[in-house]
Amino acid sequence: MSSHTATALLHAFRARLVPLSDNLIAAAFPLMKIFPAAFCVARARQDGLISARSTIVESSSGTMALGLAMVAHWSGYPLVIVSDQACDQVLARRMQDLGARVEIVDGPAPVGGLQRARLDRVREICAQGEEYWWVNQYDNTSNPAAYAAFAAQLAGECGRIDCLVGTVGSGGSMCGTADYLAALFPDLHVIGVDTFGSVLFGQPDRPRQLRGLGNSLLPRNLDHTRFDEVHWVSVQEAYTATRRLHQITSLFCGGTSGAAWMVARHWAEQHPGKRVVCLFPDDGHRYVHSVYDDKEMHAHGHWLPELPAAPREVRDPRDAADAWSSIRWGRRSYAEVVEEPCRLTATAMG
Amino acid sequence: MQPTTFDYQNGHGACRIGRGWCAGHHGELFQGAVAGEHGMRRCLMTLPCDNFQSSVSFFPDSSGELRVDPPHKAKSRRAVQYSLDALGFPHLGGVIVVRSNIKESKGYGSSTADCVAAALAVADALRVKFTDEELARLVVDAEQASDNVMFSDAVLFAHREGVVLDDYATPVPRLDLVAIDCEPDRLIDTLDSAPAPYSWKDLQYFEVLITALRRAVRTHDLPLLGQVATASADLNQHVLPKPGYADMRRLARERGALGVAVAHSGTVMSVLLDPADPAVEHKIELLQLDAMRLGLPSTRLRTRGAHAHRRIA
Repeated sequence: MSSHTATALLHAFRARLVPLSDNLIAAAFPLMKIFPAAFCVARARQDGLISARSTIVESSSGTMALGLAMVAHWSGYPLVIVSDQACDQVLARRMQDLGARVEIVDGPAPVGGLQRARLDRVREICAQGEEYWWVNQYDNTSNPAAYAAFAAQLAGECGRIDCLVGTVGSGGSMCGTADYLAALFPDLHVIGVDTFGSVLFGQPDRPRQLRGLGNSLLPRNLDHTRFDEVHWVSVQEAYTATRRLHQITSLFCGGTSGAAWMVARHWAEQHPGKRVVCLFPDDGHRYVHSVYDDKEMHAHGHWLPELPAAPREVRDPRDAADAWSSIRWGRRSYAEVVEEPCRLTATAMG
Repeated sequence: MQPTTFDYQNGHGACRIGRGWCAGHHGELFQGAVAGEHGMRRCLMTLPCDNFQSSVSFFPDSSGELRVDPPHKAKSRRAVQYSLDALGFPHLGGVIVVRSNIKESKGYGSSTADCVAAALAVADALRVKFTDEELARLVVDAEQASDNVMFSDAVLFAHREGVVLDDYATPVPRLDLVAIDCEPDRLIDTLDSAPAPYSWKDLQYFEVLITALRRAVRTHDLPLLGQVATASADLNQHVLPKPGYADMRRLARERGALGVAVAHSGTVMSVLLDPADPAVEHKIELLQLDAMRLGLPSTRLRTRGAHAHRRIA
């Protein structure tokens, strides 16, 4: 496929910017991760990390895997995706249809769980020869760097932006977009949305039901000092909010979009006159049989009769539990917040 | 035999005394680069300024020799020669008189203004007109790197190629400025400064700035324009640091200005203000006072509005 066709295809995956209220704009992506996937591959080619005979390898059970499958297919690279049981059949079938090899690991590693088992398998594959190249979305700086085109789209279509809200998994989309936008708007208020049991912002690691955000490991691409606020959201809140988002706006989005929307809507209401942009990273097709299925929602106890009106504010990330919680992160480092939680500085309170 | 007089009416074709005029600028609202098919293309958008101007008179004769006054304006002489070549009169001679109030080697675009005015004077003498694009190419050929003062509308201009990358179809919005010379004793030759060594990451930031710039100019969004100028200056400061920038950035913030624009081929920086701001006069006074405290000379200026910025006199 020619590079022009690939560029045109990529263009078709740009976010739609949808005004949801006077001061809240949704950036709804069909599949956001296609941008870091394409950018990581393009940079690797320019830096000589991959050649015509390379095979691309990545560990993912979500949309990064699908994004890479599309990009690898366009550019003619073989692709191996290492995943686990969380990888749903529809996703696996789509990737295989695009020519990717999908490997499912047997079970969790004794230490480090499924994520460790997947990474071990990636290392095994890459040890087979120089032609294997691991994308490594968690540590590859091309992941956050990929969001310039999106930041440009926001600045060009919205002008001034006061607040950016989005979920955090690898740190790529939020840190990358915030970094580019902050060049223009240094006072940009950045809100990261995480889930309980994710270590990203200082919660103790435990199994999580909500996928597509959060992490059991700390990725290098997560720059904690970018964030003014952090919110933790439960699976029930995220899914119910995703349905509410659909019912109110007709935007058909993935299960983490509701989490971002719930947080963004609250902040926008509290700050009239400030312009808020909220990231919705994928569309709802993968979730037809979960989030958008009433029987499934009730069977798993995911349906909430009422969404909380506001978060419970905590001072220590370890106090966040059960229901929507928030902390004034205050652009501090991980160590400042998690290792010295009592030393709340004046800037953090501002 | 050297002819001492020239019969403008009945002489060579339809020659006459030609005159041209061009305004200077006050540094760049944006300076950066975009990715092109054959590597990066450096580009800029200047802050046009009518307070400074260059006017050129061209007295053609058949001597076959071009003389310029003052004699050091070699680029103007070259611009005249290239213009004559382009118009099919390579052997025409004459006297070129350059009169300019634009300080040289400070970043006000004095040589570009001279060259544009010189080319316009030749065209006027031969009763023809250059398009903006022809003018841009001629001037870039004459001085190797030029700026975009020859265009009436705001453009993103590849200053080493003389090519318009983006035409905003409207002039740069009117701004008030306090121009401060951060190194009063230093002169800079544009051609001595090497092209900025931007990285691919810098180009990513520039992509964001350029889309914001387009919006700011087209919608007359002055705060956004100020933010683009400051962000552009910040990025260039990392690549080619300029003394005094941190002070200018601080003053702009403390006085509630729109931002800072830097003359990248000179030593002046401008604090940008909104002419519609009710406190603008007060802010200008304070900024001039601030500059005085830093021991730096300052001037208050207003950028060019929608009216003509160059003409054949």
